[in-house]
Parts: sequence; structure tokens; C-alpha cells
Amino acid sequence: MSNSLKGFYKILITLVVALGIGAIFILAIGENPIAAYGALLKGALGTKLGLGNTIAGFTPLLLTSIAFAVAAKGGAFNVGVEGEVILGGITAAYIGVNWGFLPVPLLYLACFLGAMAVAAAWAFIPAVLKAYYNVSEVCVTILMNTVALYIGSYLVSGPMSAGTATPQSDPVLVTLPKIMKPSNANAGVFIAIVVVVLVILIVYKTKWGYKIRTVGTNPAFADYVGISSKKVFISTMLLSGMLGGIAGCIEVLGVYGYYLDNFAKDLGTNGMLAALIVKSNMTTTPFIALFLAVLKAGSMAMQQATDVPKSIVDTVSAIFIIIATMNFVVSLRTRRKAEKAAAEKRPQDPSSAGTEGKGGSK
Amino acid sequence: MEVFESLGKIFNVSLIYATFRASTPIIYAALCAAITQQANILNIGTEGIMLVGAFTAVAVSYFTGSWILGVAAAMGGGAVIAMIMAVGHIKYDSEICAIGMGINLFAIAITKFLMQVLFNTNGTFSDPAIVPIPTVHLPFLEHIPVLNELLNDWCFTEWFVIIFIIILQFLFYKTVWGLRLRAVGQFPMAAQTAGINVNAVKYQAMLISGLIGGLAGAHLSLGYSTQFVENMTNNRGFMGVAAMYFGGANPVLTAVGCLLFGFSDSVGARLQAYGFPAQFVLMTPYLVTVIVLAVSMAIKLGAVKKKQSSLVTG
Amino acid sequence: MSEYVVEMKNIVKSFGEVRAVKEGQFNLKKGEIHSLIGENGAGKSTMMKLLYGMYPINEGEIYIKGEHMTKLDPKIAISHGIGMVHQEFMLVNELTVLENVILGFEPKKGMTIDFDKARKDVQHYIDQYNMEIQLDKKVSQISVGEAQRVEIIKTLMRGAEIIILDEPTAVLTPQETKKLFEILANLKAEGKSLVFISHKLNEVMEISDRISVMRQGTYMGTVNRDETSPLDLTKKMIGREVFLNIEKDYSKAGEKILEVQDVWVPSQKETSKIRGMSLCVRAGEIVGIAGIDGNGQSELIEAITGLRKVEKGAVILNGKNVTNKSPRKVREAGLAHIPEDRNTRGLNRTMSIEENLVAVELDKKPYTKGIFMNTAAQDKYSEEMVRQFDIRPTDYKLPTSSLSGGNAQKVVVAREVSMNKKLLVASQPTRGVDIGAIESIRNTLEKAKKQGAGVLLVSAELEEIISLSDRIIVIHEGEITGEMAASEANENNLGLLMMGGAKNTKQKGEEAS
Repeated sequence: MSNSLKGFYKILITLVVALGIGAIFILAIGENPIAAYGALLKGALGTKLGLGNTIAGFTPLLLTSIAFAVAAKGGAFNVGVEGEVILGGITAAYIGVNWGFLPVPLLYLACFLGAMAVAAAWAFIPAVLKAYYNVSEVCVTILMNTVALYIGSYLVSGPMSAGTATPQSDPVLVTLPKIMKPSNANAGVFIAIVVVVLVILIVYKTKWGYKIRTVGTNPAFADYVGISSKKVFISTMLLSGMLGGIAGCIEVLGVYGYYLDNFAKDLGTNGMLAALIVKSNMTTTPFIALFLAVLKAGSMAMQQATDVPKSIVDTVSAIFIIIATMNFVVSLRTRRKAEKAAAEKRPQDPSSAGTEGKGGSK
Repeated sequence: MEVFESLGKIFNVSLIYATFRASTPIIYAALCAAITQQANILNIGTEGIMLVGAFTAVAVSYFTGSWILGVAAAMGGGAVIAMIMAVGHIKYDSEICAIGMGINLFAIAITKFLMQVLFNTNGTFSDPAIVPIPTVHLPFLEHIPVLNELLNDWCFTEWFVIIFIIILQFLFYKTVWGLRLRAVGQFPMAAQTAGINVNAVKYQAMLISGLIGGLAGAHLSLGYSTQFVENMTNNRGFMGVAAMYFGGANPVLTAVGCLLFGFSDSVGARLQAYGFPAQFVLMTPYLVTVIVLAVSMAIKLGAVKKKQSSLVTG
Repeated sequence: MSEYVVEMKNIVKSFGEVRAVKEGQFNLKKGEIHSLIGENGAGKSTMMKLLYGMYPINEGEIYIKGEHMTKLDPKIAISHGIGMVHQEFMLVNELTVLENVILGFEPKKGMTIDFDKARKDVQHYIDQYNMEIQLDKKVSQISVGEAQRVEIIKTLMRGAEIIILDEPTAVLTPQETKKLFEILANLKAEGKSLVFISHKLNEVMEISDRISVMRQGTYMGTVNRDETSPLDLTKKMIGREVFLNIEKDYSKAGEKILEVQDVWVPSQKETSKIRGMSLCVRAGEIVGIAGIDGNGQSELIEAITGLRKVEKGAVILNGKNVTNKSPRKVREAGLAHIPEDRNTRGLNRTMSIEENLVAVELDKKPYTKGIFMNTAAQDKYSEEMVRQFDIRPTDYKLPTSSLSGGNAQKVVVAREVSMNKKLLVASQPTRGVDIGAIESIRNTLEKAKKQGAGVLLVSAELEEIISLSDRIIVIHEGEITGEMAASEANENNLGLLMMGGAKNTKQKGEEAS
């Protein structure tokens, strides 16, 4: 318990520091940070439209952040969520436009299943390359994001084009109902929440989840007790891919009603950001995703109300993540203590003396 | 016959320069990633370093009217960003991918923010007051048909990149520092027992990487174009990282990898004009890189397996 | 001035809670070859790493050429003329031999490295000591013996007068060893002082002037080579005359549980590759594998348990061919496995005691309910295990990283033994655990045997092997050098087989006895 409390404090302190740095930026341009942050909150949560936009922004972010986090639980750094969202989206659009022969409920199902299948297949490639050939999944997924983007772009400017000036597909035959018009919030948010709860249950309550966590923390142990680290790693990436696919499907069926080129821009990146801030902790990641969605949704209102550019919000989130990756906010005091102790008594740990850590401390 | 005519228009002499021109920013980015890779640090933050460099270059050039100051400031800005990463990674144990991604997001956001604050504009900032990096006009080439088209009026930093590749090749493989850098990257314990300060070398590599990344950005915003556009690096940093993988962090081979990107970029742009789906051409370098990565790793694993086999006597 | 170029007095060194050196003494005369011998973990390597400044000492004094060294790191050690050839070579594979030799001490010409001068300097030593070294090859392309010569050249280039060689022959073939000894003799003739760390007695007897023995971190004395024998040294190394041989009822051994048939297994190290090994374990017996660490024990165990590929041959468990089957399949065929490294393989340290306990039985009832885990059943089982194996603390929701070595090992043992599998493979089961835990773990192995399981025990502790096993197999460099009933075994005959088997040491051993 004390560990999770510590983690909570660390996030809190990091957040305060990041907002503080943001406040300095705002002061530097001659504005009032409190007013700015206030306008932001009001914009995101104070009006129906604002709240709707927050929810609309939260929906894909919730899924992509969990997609990244679940991959991380299995030991993968999956930058490829964005590509999975794109391909999930285009698949949903294809099925949604062309499979009108299916009865409506089945068509919904087909859109989601198709999106999940294609996105999972896409995630399968870096997963296999990593598991069997030890190729960096970071590099492969970054590259494949661009490939996915071009595939989507080609399809909606060519074979699937609606013939409009902007590259986009024909409208899909089934859509998810909007819940807070005129915002983009739609029933997809409920699907996303259910899916995320299911994923958290999978990770912490099922055998598969146990295996994922085992492989992610100690693959040698996993193999030794009879859990194939390679297969579980790949299955984790498939799960992550499916979540990206669902996000893409919801965006297409819920927000746009068609596939719009480049619609997934930054969805994967921001999801990754949310997960990274809490080191891919499954239960806190959704809250960070919500927090980021609030920041994003409120930023426009802040800009209009106070002359503070909305990009301050992205700046603050980026600072948030940079500080959160470092291991010093909470451990500062313990580190000082350790250094003091080390100064009095020579360090004794052979592992720290033997590795690179020692080399530069002179 | 129309096809051949079109092909002739696509694959002509000017394509060579177009390829090189499109490759240059990526080459700088790849060299930025190569130097840290030699110290075994995967510089995912190349994209962000470059973007900050691009913005700083434009801003300083605009305010001072000097492209030299612009470039210098860009390199300084890149170095600052790189040092944030270095301290986070080396001193505070940040996972390099995580902090690198953070840096990239920070770069996009802070440049957007500063563009709004300093220039009160969104999206694109271009202004006649921005002094670009000059082009090098060689009068004696004017009357030589092919060479004139090929070599004349290159931007200064385009010429410089060639020299720079050679400098880095020299630095890595001929100098004391390069030798130590490679030793630190491949086997830090060995370097340490040889009396080398491993972390100091890593910091130095990150610092130089930041300077190069800043230069990459400056070339992009003051040489390749004369403006700053939101997120104008547009994955060039990542392409650089991929090319660095392709070339195994060897500057010359890395640059060759970059030419592959530049080539498909230029051909793609031309093909698009003829109705060919440019996306396929544009995605080729990415696909090729993935395949090259996979094949080279498979070969490496095969060699290890053979070496460890009990059936052969070693 | 003292007659010694190196003196180490009353050295104490701990790593965390482990006291690697309890009471270390060592001195070195100019121009001698002084061997430092002892079993694995006796602290001999640690002593020399302390001298080379790789770790600071906790207590004691180090003098180099009469100078009291209050501060020591590799750089200072090098500047005082100390060179060390590490057991694991400190060579960068992707650099050339020449680059490796000059690393850290590069001759410069303007901005570049003066490779010509470097080459000339290195060639000088190569000629002087008559070594075969290809300077322009990458280290990854040269043989182990050559890499070792490169390490020696490295120390010479840095002006070493005192050269420490940490188990230099462990990785060499007999031919390469011969070559090395010629070089060492040359170095000695040039007035260099050498420290030779080893546990191969025949080699020590061949090359040393003086020999110091360490046992369990404690200095056991120094003798002149001419005044000792391998047998004498073996006694000093292994020490206590313990004969814990419990009355064993060997006749009960039943059908074959495990058969290893002419198995060939790959390894990173040449000396650990297994080339054609056959053995069997029967129901109701404990078979002990004796051998010096790194002679293929780990590879053999991994091959049996499905964790390493078998290149040739077959492993039969309980009548089923499990060759190259997944660890899961091997476990299903009746394997329980206490691995040698509990921290990386035996336990998942970030997970709780409970999660570690259920790891192998996760998919079976009652620990599972459909796709979900049955937490109630897991709790009940964990509670039972914690009680039965006396694991402390008893809160099984705590992460295993919070456990002491002994209690952590009890978790591993509990998990593996509680399922009553047909074959129990136990690798270094009592390494690094306290006396109380040793007792309970050994009893557990005995109990498994009495219940009819076959037990394969690997241990670096000869005393443990002798007191627990019914039958003992000795291995050396991936081959079986001897097999005997435990009743015939003693430290001496096992020790000699472990040091290289019949070919080298047998004669001397027989002479002595």
C-alpha cells in the first residue's frame, strides 16, 4: 500500500512541478496563470459543449493509453498504437461502407471485429520480429506507423475515396449515437470504458494476465516455470493492437461517420504519454488519460478567455512526462540519505560498482 | 510511349539533386542519432532536438538578421535539449525511449507556444526578415550544362553535410575520443577497466549529438526552406534513427540509408504529379528499413548460434 | 623496504550481507609466480579485484611496493604497475586487437591515433615474449587463447610489473594452456611478478613458486611448491573432514525416471559445451553431479529441463521423450526444478510470494476457474506452504524481493517440491542461504527421495554432494570423468576427478595415496 501511495505522491509532485513551470511560462508572457488554469477547467468541464468535447477526446485516449500500458505490462514499448488506430479505422470504414448486406447489429459487430483483427495483425509483425529476432520494437513500430498512415491515405484518396476534395471515405452505414450534441461525444465512450475495465480485469484477474505480467517483469522466470515468454509477448502485442483497432473503429463510427485521412494524428502519441506518466500502471493510466483530455479540451477555451496560447497545455504535459520518467522526485530524500551514508561508509554493492554507474562518478 | 516520356521526366538529372536535397536534413538527423548510438544510447529524441533547432534558427535569424547566429543558436538549443535527456537518462535512470518521446512532445509544444508568443501566428511563420543560409554560387559552372544543374547554387549546409560525414567518420574511427566512444558503447566495463570515465564520454556524446541535431533543424528551417512550420521535422528525426540503424551507426553507410529516403521522397513527389499513388513510393523506405533490420538481426543470431554449437569445435 | 612488492593484510570485504572475504592475507615477492587457490566462492578473485581497485576494501591494509594505498581504483593500480587479466576478458569484440590494446592509453599524432607507433610498441612485446597475435583482426574473430594473450599484452603496454591472472586456464585447451605457461615463464624471467588464480591443482603444481590457499573467504596459509602435494592442497582447499554420510538405503532405487542419452548441448563458453553425455536417475535415489562451476552443469540442467536446445541425443523423462520440448511439456512429464539462480530464474522478485508459489500450477484446478485465477484457492495453498516450509514473513502478499536469501529459496523449494513430481532437479539448492535454511532444504530433498522421486543434485559444495547423494557423477569440461557410489567417494578422489579427470591428475593422486 505504501508503495502505491508513494507513487501517487510522486505523480502529484510531478504534476505540481509541471504546472508550476507552465505557470512561469504564462507569467513570462504577462498573463495570470491562475486565471488561465481556471479558464481551462471551466472550458473543459463547465459547459455542456466543453464537457462533451472532453469526453470525445477522452474516448480514444483512454483506449490508446491502455493499449500502450498493456503492451508495457508484457514488456513491449509499443509506439505503434497510432498505426493500429489508423488501420482499425480504415477497416471499420471499409466494412461499414461495403457490407450493407449484413443486418445492422451484425454490421456493428463486423466493424469492431474487423478493426480489431486487422490492427492485431499489424501489431503481430513487430511482435514476432522482437520475440524471435530481437529487432527493436520501438524502431519497427515507429516506421510502421508511417506505413499505416500511407496505406490509409492511399485507400481514401484512391479505391475508397468519396470523391471529395479532402481525402475521405464514403459515410458508413452504421454510426454510434452522439450523446452530447453538438459535441463529438458519442456512445463509444461507454464501449471504451467497458473494454478498459475488461482489460484491467484480464491483466489482474486472469491466467493470461498473470502470464503477461510475469513475462513483462521477468521473462527468464516465465520460461522456467513453463510460460512461453515469446508467445505471451506476441499475444500481449495482439491485445494491444486490438485496443488500438477499437479506438480507430469508435472514431470512425462515432465521431466522423466516415474515414478521414490523418484522423488518428497524435492519438497514439498522447495515449502513450498518459501511460508513460504513470509508468504504465493500468489503474491510474485512465485517470491520466482523462486529465490530459481535460487539458486538451479546455485549452481552446483558455486561449479565447485569456490570451494564453493553448499550446501551453501540450508544453505542460510534455514537461510532466519528462519529469515523471526520472527517478528522483520522491527518491530525492532517500538518495541524499544514501549519499550521506555512502560518504561515511564506502559503497558495498558489487552490482553498482561493477556497472557503468560507477564509471563517471569521479 | 507516353509512359516512357513520363519516366524520362521523372528520372532525369535534376532528380539527383532533388534526392540529395531531400536527404540532407535526414542525414544531419541520422548523424545526430549515430553519435549517441556509438555510446549505446538510442536517441529517440532526435526529432525533438531537431525541431527546437529549427525554431531557434528561424527566431534568431529573424531578430538578429544573421544566419550564422541563427545556426549557432540552433546548435545551442539542440544541445540544451540533448542535455536534459542526458541528465535524465544517465543520472536519473529515465528509460531512454520514454524520455526521448517526452522530449519530442515537448519540442512540438514549446515551439508552437513560442511561435504564438513571439510571432503571434499559428501553423507557419515566414517573413522576409528571416535571413536564410546562403547558397554557394559557382560562376565557372554556369556554362557547363549538366554540372551546372547538378552542382550549382547548393545551400551552404548542403555542401557542409558532405564534409561533416567525413569529419564524423574520422572522429569515430581515427581519433582517441572515437575509439573510447565505441568502447564505451560496446563494453562499458572494458572501457572502465582501461581507466576511461564512462559517463563523461556518454555526456559528451549527447552534447555533440545535440549540436548536430540543432544544426539539422537549422538546415531544415534556414536552408531547405526559409520558414518555420509547426512540427516541420515531420518524422525526419525518426527517419534519421532508422537510417542510423540501417547503417549500423557508421556515418557513411548511414548517409547512404538517408539517400534511400530522399530518393523515394523525390520520386514520390514526381510520381504523384502523374497520378501514381505516391503513398506506395513514400512508404518504401520504411518497409525496406524494417526488412533490413529483420534480416541483419537474423544473420547475427545465426552466427551466434553457430559459434555456441557443441557440434563444431571452436 | 619489505621484500614484497604487494602486501595485503587482514582484508575484509562484504557485498551487502555476503562476506566475500572474511580474513584475507596475501603477499607477492618480486619475480615469483604466486598461485592463489580455493573453491568457488572462496574469495580469491575478490581479493585480487580489491588489489586492482575494482571495489574498495572494508577493512585491512594494502601495500604496493611498500607504499600504503589508502585510495585505490583501476587507474591508480595501473599507475602503480599492476595489471589484471580478468576471467571475463575486458575486450571490445567489435574493435580490432590493436585498438583494444591501446584503449585508454592511445599514442597520438596530432588529432589522430598514431597507429604506426602503437603497432611498433605492441610488436616489441610480441617479439620479446614470443606471442602469436594478429593485430588487425577484430577480437570477435580471434580464439580464446589469443584473446588472453591480448589481455597480457595490454597489461604490459601499461607498464605492469605485477600481473594478476584470474583463472586464466579455465577457458583454454590443454595446448593453449601450454603456450600460456611458456609466456608466463618468460615474464617471470624478465622479472615480472605474477599472481595465478586457479583451482586446477596440476597446473598450480606445475607453474608456481609459492601457493596460498583460501577457503570460504579466509586465508588458510601459504606453502612453497616444493613442499606440498596436490592431496595436501586439496585438503586445505576443501577443509573440514566432514563425513555426514547418512545411512542410505540404495537398494530401493527403482525404475529409470530420467535418461540422458548421448546429449550434445551448445554453450557460450567452449569449456561448458556438453559433448556426448549420458546418465540416468532412478526412482528413490539422489544422483549428485560434482564438478567445478562452468564445466557444463548449467547447460546440462537447462537441456534436461527444456530451457536450452539439445543439438544431438535424447532426454527421456518418465518414459516420454522430452528432447527439445518446451519447459511446460517437460514439467507436465514430471519435472520439478530448483534452478541455480533464484533471483533471475527461480523467482519473479517484483511479484508476491503467492504469485511465485502458484506459477507452475497456475493452469490447473483448483487454482483456476475458467479463464480466471481462483484467488481463494491460491490463498489457501499459499497459507499452507508458508506454514509447512516456515517461510518468513508469513504475509504471502509481500513481494519476494523483501525476503532474505534463505526464505526466498524456501519459496522456490516449496513451489517445486509440493507437487510431488517424479523427478526433482536441484541446482545449487543451498547456495547463499543461512544454516537453518540449508538444513531444511536438505531434509526436503531427502524426503522427496523417500517418497520415490528421482533427484538430480548439482552442487559446488562437495560436502553437500557426498552427504546427500547415493551415486555421484563427476563432470569436467562437458564430459563425465567418473562415476561412483557415494560410499566410495571422498573429497580427494572426487576433487582429483573434478580437476580434469584421469588423464592429468590420476597418477599424482595415486602416488600420494
